[in-house]
Amino acid sequence: MMLSVSPSSANQARLRCVAVLLALFLVPAVFAQAQTQGPTLGQTDPNSPDVILPELSAVPIISAGLAYNTFFQGGTPNLHPLVSPVILIPLGQNWLIESRDTFEINLAPVPGESGYKGYLQKEVDYLQVDYIANPFLTITVGRYLTPFGVYNERLYPVWIRDLQSDPLILPISTGPSGAGTGAMLRGGFKATPKMEINYATYFSTLSRDTPFDSDRNIGARAGIFLPGPRLEVGGSFQHLLQGDRSNAFGFHFAWQPPPLPLDIRAEYARSDTGSGYWIESAYRLSQVPVWHDEMRRVQLVARVQQYYTGKVVDPDLPGVNTNMFEFGMNYYFRDDFRFVSSYGRQFAPGGGNFNVWTLGITYRFVLPVGHGDIQ
Amino acid sequence: MTSRRVILSSLLALVTGTLLLAGSSAGQQVDKPASAQTTNSTIHSAPPAAASAQGDEALRVEGEKRFHANCGRCHQSPHKFPPRMVMTIERHMRVRATLTDEDMRLIVRYLTQ
Ligand code: HEC
Repeated sequence: MMLSVSPSSANQARLRCVAVLLALFLVPAVFAQAQTQGPTLGQTDPNSPDVILPELSAVPIISAGLAYNTFFQGGTPNLHPLVSPVILIPLGQNWLIESRDTFEINLAPVPGESGYKGYLQKEVDYLQVDYIANPFLTITVGRYLTPFGVYNERLYPVWIRDLQSDPLILPISTGPSGAGTGAMLRGGFKATPKMEINYATYFSTLSRDTPFDSDRNIGARAGIFLPGPRLEVGGSFQHLLQGDRSNAFGFHFAWQPPPLPLDIRAEYARSDTGSGYWIESAYRLSQVPVWHDEMRRVQLVARVQQYYTGKVVDPDLPGVNTNMFEFGMNYYFRDDFRFVSSYGRQFAPGGGNFNVWTLGITYRFVLPVGHGDIQ
Repeated sequence: MTSRRVILSSLLALVTGTLLLAGSSAGQQVDKPASAQTTNSTIHSAPPAAASAQGDEALRVEGEKRFHANCGRCHQSPHKFPPRMVMTIERHMRVRATLTDEDMRLIVRYLTQ
């Protein structure tokens, strides 16, 4: 989002106030940790929940999501190779350094020339240090994926998403390039035996240094998860501390009714830059009685979305009201390797009606740096 | 100005509440899964070796249940990994997926057995 900032002294005072608040949060968190340090791994107090953790040290990991997609938009093919390496470095029992970068090329045919042309784009998706302060609280500092809604944090990687195109409302309040730079407090805990609550609160500073750009904002997301019916509902809120200082909010919903191989997910978001929603359902054909071994690998996906423009223009969002539906079919060779395909049609005034076809493969690997097994 | 104050104070309340919750439970034990409790009571009524085998099995079953409830929520349920990789992956997922401490422990146990 390109919103201008007026560097007034009032702004600085406010920033200071936020920094003090943040410090106030962090100090008690560290104290809470000091108190909760009970029995450590491998101790044999039968009343301690810690006793169930094996005495093993975590090993650093390199993982990556890869995709090779071809998009046919309005008949023209675009080739889109992408690799997104994730590095995980665990330290001690409670720390984790994690990062993800994305390298992608969009190769398109150039009119009047032969072959495809494109350039390499590189993004630092996140680069953060996590400190698990106690069972209820994790403190994150650095560049993090903005937890506004759930798509950005939970479904974005190419090997996870069931349809390869981004939802139209994804840029709403996730910031330029989907990340914030600052600090985040988050966690999950059991509220009742049948209900879990998860939350994330964050503060991000303004940065215009590519590839670390972020907006100055403050926000929170909370969700309720019912493990029985595997249902989650939640809401997000964000207040921009720059430009028009507007507020944004959103809702998310995810349900995997236990007897069925079905995922139903939806999100709604509203901000000054626009509003909209998407609803997606994905069904694995594992219950089809014929050709069971083949059918259980097939997943059918459908998504409907609508976007309405807002009063502030964001170049990452459509310039006009847009509707879209998509159907997809994925074939899972394994949980981490699949063939993906989809057909979609977009409807927008002013020549914005066109078909989009996608064909591709996605893959994810996870490798230890050192020995993964117990030696 | 007022709206910002409301936001900041509700955020403060939210975070302070969380921390208080964390602080007040410090030193106490976190709720144990039903099966873990069963484990403790069976220890007294059965011969020690059989009891711990039974307890292990109960925890494994509970871990498997939590694995199925949680690990296929965002992506396909992953295959098993070597134990020291599981320790890292679970820490990553705990942070990313805001899994509860108890879920994480039971799933780690299930995946490393
Ligand atoms: C709330 C969503 C969510 C849940 C629940 C979840 N994951 Fe993930 N998982 C992700 C996302 C998102 C990534 C990709 C991380 C990235 O690219 O930054 C991921 C990545 C992974 C990876 C690849 C290696 C890595 O750490 O990045 C493995 C393996 C994995 N998850 C296993 C699990 C297991 C086991 C569970 C159950 C305890 C689980 N996941 C639960 C969202 C989730």
